[in-house]
This record gives sequence, C-alpha cells and structure tokens, in this order.
Amino acid sequence: MITAERKPLAEIIDSIDDCRRILLVGCNECVTVCSAGGRKEVAMLASALQMDFMKRGKTLDVREMTLERQCDPEYVEQLAPYIGQVDAVVSMACGCGVQEVAKRFRDKRVFPAVNTKFMGASEGPGIWAERCHGCGNCLLGLTGGICPIARCSKRLLNGPCGGSSHGKCEVSDEIDCVWQLIWDRLKELGQEDRYEEIIEAKDWSTERAGGPRKIVREDLAQ
Amino acid sequence: MSFQKRLASGEFVVLAEMNTPKGVDISQLITNARKVKGRVDAVSVPDMDNGVMRMSALAGGVLMQQQGIEAIIHTYGRDRNRMALQGDLLAAHVLGIQNLIVAHSEAMGNGDHRDAKTVDDLDEIGLLKAIQGLQQGKDLAGFDLEGAPSFTTGCTIASFGDAVALNAVLADAKAKVEAGAQFIVTPPVFDVARCEALLDKLKGLGVPVIATIFLLKSVGIARYIALNEPNAGVTEALIGRIRKASDREQECLRIAGETIVALKGKVAGVKIETLGWEHRLGAILDYAQI
Repeated sequence: MITAERKPLAEIIDSIDDCRRILLVGCNECVTVCSAGGRKEVAMLASALQMDFMKRGKTLDVREMTLERQCDPEYVEQLAPYIGQVDAVVSMACGCGVQEVAKRFRDKRVFPAVNTKFMGASEGPGIWAERCHGCGNCLLGLTGGICPIARCSKRLLNGPCGGSSHGKCEVSDEIDCVWQLIWDRLKELGQEDRYEEIIEAKDWSTERAGGPRKIVREDLAQ
Repeated sequence: MSFQKRLASGEFVVLAEMNTPKGVDISQLITNARKVKGRVDAVSVPDMDNGVMRMSALAGGVLMQQQGIEAIIHTYGRDRNRMALQGDLLAAHVLGIQNLIVAHSEAMGNGDHRDAKTVDDLDEIGLLKAIQGLQQGKDLAGFDLEGAPSFTTGCTIASFGDAVALNAVLADAKAKVEAGAQFIVTPPVFDVARCEALLDKLKGLGVPVIATIFLLKSVGIARYIALNEPNAGVTEALIGRIRKASDREQECLRIAGETIVALKGKVAGVKIETLGWEHRLGAILDYAQI
C-alpha cells in the first residue's frame, strides 16, 4: 500500500487559516489501512481544526467526506455538488488523490493534510515499513523476494557493505541489513548460488530517469 | 583583462565553447584552444549538459588554464547531488577556475546513458544559492568552510516560443539573478531583430547578457532547428542563404560572424558554440572582425 502520515496540525491550520468553509476529504484505500486519512482520521482532524479555530475566536465549517478512491476521477466527481460551497479542499489522501482533486476542480485551492511516505507493508500494529521503490524493473526474483533497492540504505545490488553488523544496518540498528535477510532467505530456499550471481548496473530508465511514467494498456484504453 | 573585469568594464566579451573529449585524447581540444588563445576572452567548457558522457568540465577547465586560457565551466544538478557539486566547486576554485555557468541539462532519457540514474538533488536556483553560500563561507548544511571560494557565476535561460513563454523565461531569469547569477547566457540567437524584445527586457535585470551564437553547420541542421523550434529564428531566408551559397561551409561561418557583428552594442558579449567545428572558430572570429 501507499503509506502516509498526517501533517502536523499547525501546518494544516496555517494552510487554511484564511478559510471559513472547507471540504475535508479522506480516502477509503491505502491511507485508511495505514490510519492516516480514512473516515476516522477525517473526523478527528475536522474536530481538531474546528477546536483550534474556536479557541482563536474564529469559525470553520468542515464538510467531511471520504471517497472510495481519491485517485480515481469517477469517485472524485462525487465532490462536485459541494465544491462551490467551500473555500478550499483539504485532502487526506496520498499525493495521487490530492492531484486528482486539484485536476478536477481547477479553480479551487487544494491542500494536503498528509505526507505521502512510501510503498510499504505492515510489520505489526501501528508499524509500516518500506518495501517497494517502484523502480519499474523488478528484481525480486533474483534476491529471494526481498528488495535491496527499497530496503538497503545504499541500494546495493551485490551484497552488503562493510557496515552490516549482526544483521543490522550501519544507518540504524532498527534497520535490518537487507542483504542479511536476502542471504538467510536464499539459504532457506537452497539457492545460495544465487548470491554469487553479479547483478549488473541497474537500468534506471524505468524509474524516473526516463521522465514521469505512464502505463498504457492498449486493450483497456479507450 | 580577466573575463570578470571585462564584463564589469562593459567591454564586449567573446567566449568560445570547447567540449571535452569522450575519452582521454585531449590533443584536439588543446590544439583548438591554442588557436583561439588571445582572440577570445575565455573558453567555456560544458560538462555533460547535453546528456553525452565525456571528460568532466572540471578537467577541461583546468586544461584551458594550463594553456593560459581563462576557463568557464558548466555545472548543473542532473548528475551530482549537493555533496558532489559542492566538492567539485571547491576543487574548481583551488585548481584555478574562476568562472561558472549554472546550466540547463538535457533529460537523461535524451542522452547516451539512458539507463543512468538521474540525481536532480538541486535545481538551477538551488545550485546558484549553494554557490552563493560557499562564497560566503558556508556549505549547504550550514557548516563553516576553511577558506571560501570565489567565482563569477552566470546562468542559462530557456528558449521561448511566444509572449507567454517569454514572460516565464524572464521570471526564471529574475529568480536566477536574485539567487546569485551575475550574467545571463541566452539561447542561440539566429535572428537578432527577433531577440531584441528579450534582450531589452533582460537588461532590466541589471546583469550583463551574453548571447549564444550557435553555428549552423549545414542546411540539414538549419532545417532541423526550424522544424523542431519554429520560433528559434531560423527563417526560410536564412536556410535559403546557406542552400544557395557556392561554399556552404564558409557561408555558415560568415552567418555566425555577421550575427556577432549585429549583436555588438546590444549585448555584453557572445558565446560561440560550434559543436565539433572548434577548429573553425578562427574563421568565425575573422568574419566577426574580432
């Protein structure tokens, strides 16, 4: 999933301080799963914003909405009946959702209420960790299903650096050395010989070196 | 007189661009540079701005200095992060490079190493500010330097197609001057009359403007530019002039020289780009009566 964290309240307030009416829009997908911008977080932020405005002798009308997917124009369209009634939209979706709202409602200011972080997975209650960098040329088949691009601090492709110690990364002992994880996994799979294979310099043209990326499925595109 | 002093005094500045080799054979570079020594005020050395891997501009600039030719080297953010950029700038200073151009760089996907990772840690404004900071004795992390470098730093601006784009270019130029650019290098000028609006407006920014003279080496190149950049000023008349000439090469050189002459009094100087025809720089200077 795409993970996100809510921005500091002061930053959100600063962005809408001149507003009297806002549309606060959450998303039912990734940001709901990582508890950053779903229906519950929308309600909590709405209350926090209104309390802050009230404390300062101001009022703020907040219309709360949570779309099924904010990165999909079909769902973003559901905001249309309400958009004329507000000064700005505050989006609790990832950056994709914020931009979709901004694209649809060009004359309306849109502010993000979360910082989009990474593509990750849950490691336990309240913990999400980076798993995929979206490099566009997946090599998980070579590395035991564990990604050195996303999970090695130095993005090393051919084994650990000298900073790997007791299975931990030199950057922080809270970070596993991904090459230790890869080695352990390859051993479990009986594929230790894979470790010896040299991975050539990576082709980054599938990442951002080739410019902003787009997928076009001819069979689906109209 | 140094490039910086010449710019400050208002003397017409002539710069020649010399590309470093894709390899370590510097004989052609040195031969070409020696030929224009004393005839140009400085040689500007691009880095890998156009996306083609070659010897770094830092080495090229030092080679120019070793020949007794003042160098201006290009720097940009596509290939190096702020650590590498600042380190190279400190190195450039101690190796005698006094001038920089913070340049636009071609997208990696348009170069010859399309699979390379793009860095883009600093944009041109960010890099100009970093240079300013270094000159004030601070790196981008706020740490004090042991000895601050000093440079005369210029910037490039994008070509423009219409009035809206022109305004965007002017806004960009203004931001770059505010970020520390001490001179501005224009896109190639083929039609002086067409560029006068830009030149007039750039004058308002209060820094010298250096016009790029881009040598049209053939009818094919002229047509290519006219087709792909219809507002660049490569007119049918200009293409026809090259096509009809009995000696097309000479005509191309003459056109470049005449453009320089036409720009005198309108800009602070020119930067002549010959892209592989550096050995013909002398002829262009002859036609320009320099």
